[in-house]
Amino acid sequence: MNLDIRTVAPENLREEMLRLRREQKMNFLETLTGMDWGEEGGLGVVYTLESTETGERAALKTATTDRENPMLPSVSDIWKIANIYEREVYDFYGIKFTGHPDMRRIFLREDWVGYPFRKDDEPEKENPLRMTNEPLADVTESYVLNPDGTVVKETHPIFEEGEYVVNIGPQHPSTHGVLHFRVSLDGEVIRKIDPVLGYIHRGVEKLNESLTYPQTLALTDRLDYLGAMQNRHALCLCIEQAMGIEVSDRVKVIRTIMDELQRIDSHILFFSCLCQDLGATTAFLYGFRDREKILDIFEETCGGRLILNYNTIGGVMADLHPNFVKRVKEFIPYMRKNLQEYFDIFINNVIARNRMDGVGILSLDDVISFGCTGGTGRASGWHNDVRKRMPYAAYDRVEFNEITRKEGDSFARLMIRMDEIKESLNIIEQLIDNIPDGPFQEKTKPIIKVPEGTYYTAVEGSRGEFGVFLESHGDKTPYRLHYRATGLPLVAVMDTACRGNLIADLITIGGTVDYVVPDIDR
Amino acid sequence: MKEDKTYLAGLFGGIKTLCVGLKTTMRELFTPKMTEQYPENRKELKMFDRFRGSLTMPHNENNEHKCVGCGLCQMACPNGTITVKSEFYETEDGKKKKRLVSYEYNLGSCMFCQLCVRACPHGAITFDQSFENAVFDRSKLVRKLNHEGSKLMETK
Amino acid sequence: MLFDFNVISQWLHGALTSVMPEWAAILTESILVALAIITLYAVFAIILIYMERKICAFFQCRLGPMRVGKWGLLQLFADVFKMLTKEIISMRQSDRFLHNLAPFLVVIASMLTFACLPWNKGAHILDFNVGVFFMLAASSIGVVGILLAGWSSNNKYSLIGAMRSGAQIISYELSIGLTMLTMMALTGTLQISEIVEQQYAEGWNIVRGHVPAVIAFLIYLIAGNAECNRGPFDLPESESELTAGYHTEYSGMHFGFYYLSEYLNLFITAGIATTIFLGGWAPLHIIGLDGFNGVMDYIPGIVWFVGKTLFVVFLLMWIRWTFPRLRIDQILALEWKYLVPISLVNLVVMAIVAAYGFHF
Repeated sequence: MNLDIRTVAPENLREEMLRLRREQKMNFLETLTGMDWGEEGGLGVVYTLESTETGERAALKTATTDRENPMLPSVSDIWKIANIYEREVYDFYGIKFTGHPDMRRIFLREDWVGYPFRKDDEPEKENPLRMTNEPLADVTESYVLNPDGTVVKETHPIFEEGEYVVNIGPQHPSTHGVLHFRVSLDGEVIRKIDPVLGYIHRGVEKLNESLTYPQTLALTDRLDYLGAMQNRHALCLCIEQAMGIEVSDRVKVIRTIMDELQRIDSHILFFSCLCQDLGATTAFLYGFRDREKILDIFEETCGGRLILNYNTIGGVMADLHPNFVKRVKEFIPYMRKNLQEYFDIFINNVIARNRMDGVGILSLDDVISFGCTGGTGRASGWHNDVRKRMPYAAYDRVEFNEITRKEGDSFARLMIRMDEIKESLNIIEQLIDNIPDGPFQEKTKPIIKVPEGTYYTAVEGSRGEFGVFLESHGDKTPYRLHYRATGLPLVAVMDTACRGNLIADLITIGGTVDYVVPDIDR
Repeated sequence: MKEDKTYLAGLFGGIKTLCVGLKTTMRELFTPKMTEQYPENRKELKMFDRFRGSLTMPHNENNEHKCVGCGLCQMACPNGTITVKSEFYETEDGKKKKRLVSYEYNLGSCMFCQLCVRACPHGAITFDQSFENAVFDRSKLVRKLNHEGSKLMETK
Repeated sequence: MLFDFNVISQWLHGALTSVMPEWAAILTESILVALAIITLYAVFAIILIYMERKICAFFQCRLGPMRVGKWGLLQLFADVFKMLTKEIISMRQSDRFLHNLAPFLVVIASMLTFACLPWNKGAHILDFNVGVFFMLAASSIGVVGILLAGWSSNNKYSLIGAMRSGAQIISYELSIGLTMLTMMALTGTLQISEIVEQQYAEGWNIVRGHVPAVIAFLIYLIAGNAECNRGPFDLPESESELTAGYHTEYSGMHFGFYYLSEYLNLFITAGIATTIFLGGWAPLHIIGLDGFNGVMDYIPGIVWFVGKTLFVVFLLMWIRWTFPRLRIDQILALEWKYLVPISLVNLVVMAIVAAYGFHF
């Protein structure tokens, strides 16, 4: 949708934000996107907010023209997730947020020179390939704005002297990728977690600024590789909506089915990896056995198993394979039968229950403040399913339940996924027999140019709301293309979820909040 | 540990779930195994038609291809994987025409996004199903797709 | 009649004393026995690792090793070879002496325990009147090796792993001790050969002791599994939490020793269970079927012993590949809140059974 953005001056920002939070109950900070509007527009931030109670939405922006030492007020005390989002903006644009407790780089190396997302920055000039190890900061900085307008820089140690800090990652079997947690321990009890991100940061958003729209699609599959279908769907939807392309019913249904297959795929992998993390290696392979069937279905139609490369602007890459319907119909009863096996071997097992029941409880306020969408949020009772909130594709014509639970513990997060597999199977069952006829690809111009404007479109990814924030200046390349990563809030919440639990629980919680690292690092 | 259960109920309930688990694995011990024995099964192994192995330019039996050397694929590629070299030549009736000299494809930087195949107006390139693409030297990944001495297929 | 191994050992002794003095003969015999133990140790480790890989694979709908040799039979030899040729890396800032000593302690402990197993009638290597007691004592040396490994590696994962291991093994030793005590109340002797002879004459202990013996057997299996640091009690080396726990920093054959002793401890645990509960080398006898019993007696004792032991090993592997891992507090809760009280009650029940002769 086209965003209706209100401009707020930096000095009024906090006041306005606090008012929105209190009076309009805007408790969900959906995205916080850094922007560089050039010399005149200045460096700034676009905020999109939503109220989970009323469903109202708002978009604001603020900017400063000071390029030497840009400062904006922080909102990290209003929404907890802003802490990590503002670090990202600082990393990419060099905007310092006054009042932010922890102004460190997040994705790039600590010794990186310059701020690559500024349009006048030349990252390659100052940053040769460094052959030394990356030094990790032991102290962090914050900028405090005094009432008289002066700014004081303060430094704080990240860990106190004498704390027993263990590195979980970046090479660790259960961080599901190159994720690094610095964990301060008291015996086996976790006192604090400091996530170190960016080990596979590829600068996808920066790359996008020099790619044409069809080319940007190729990178979406490589973000959350278990939500490849949905990520690409989101970007296609965003561009289609911006350009006013209406896809055929057939494409809508195909995309819906594919999204749900991808969701099942992701949830099976979630289950498998959780089992692996908790030491039930056999259950792990049972999950992989069943996932293989979905991958075969994907490969037959899309030509890929992980990097699916299927959605295009205005349609899909190729029509469904003649075997597709038959295979999917075989898969539905097969999966329903094997789901029972998952319960027998792992979910109902007393050891697994004891490992998960009551471990890593997240309150409803926490998940909303951290913006943990998807199954993690729904396990704490937050109705955040984009398929229900802002229906897209064919979701308005199928019946399905939004699964929510109240407990907010690891077991609830697991059960949400298991129940969602059943719901997804129901959705596919409703659609598979009546896929409407129609073209699988709308005609588009050879060179795609998105009309000027700022757009935001979200879909329900495998692990939450995957959003695409697109600012176009009417060129054939995007001016700014930002993805609302589903995984970043999930990593941000780890510290809150894990404090006071044991190391073994860190693994359980990490497994059940279900992050995927390429999506976090982008 | 669930507090609402008594000591013994918890104990026996727990043992029951453990036995269900043991029963499940025992059943799986005798089910057919899923392992695919590659490379022994090379003969039976058949990739799906749409699988994207590597880019090829099909030639017919007369060593003719369909590429006119327009370079649209090169422009569509996000990675600079394709280098099309073409030259102008004069046909018999004096017109200047473009013709393909070499079509270089670097498998090492290809990300199989299919944009080149979609961009091609003549259907000259396509992905094949080969997947055993490992080589010892990176330079071997750069392939010349048009065969030696090949020429453009005559269109009727 | 069942084959008696004493025939061979006496013949050997006789043959040796005829050519050399008594002391030299005993020395030669000791060396031969030592070589036999080491060979058996290695052979069983290989058998067990192969067995584990195949069984694990089959539980998981896989085929396991298939490449090297028919059905991957030579895979393990290739693995052993690889391990022997790998460099033993010494870490900077580690306590070099203790770091190198630790794997040997673990292997020594498991070899000592290994020597206590009764292979056949008359084929015991260590057999004296407090045999069971000695076996328990010897097996506890292993934990010292694990703790040393964790401490000397100067690695945080290793240290946490070693501490977990210490807490776990020392706790579960209690259950093992109590179940042994329970069975000793029934047998009335601590000498391993006598325990087996008795079972040969009067029936396997698990049948003789009926209910309390079955309970003791189950508790022993759980506690024994925990002693071996095997799943679901593998949290000292839980790979998804501590990468490899106490042996994270070991390489080459030093790691190989831990690997070997892990599998041998599994075999020993199963072997002790066989000896104490399942009649050791005693063949299967069914009262009243004399013909059947006679046939069973023709099968050598060693086949019975190894067969039963591998059966118990299979049970333990089945458990390992089914259950998820416990958490450290749950492991201790299981021991102190469930296993110890049950074993204590069981001990009393067994004492009553033994005192009033309620057993078979």
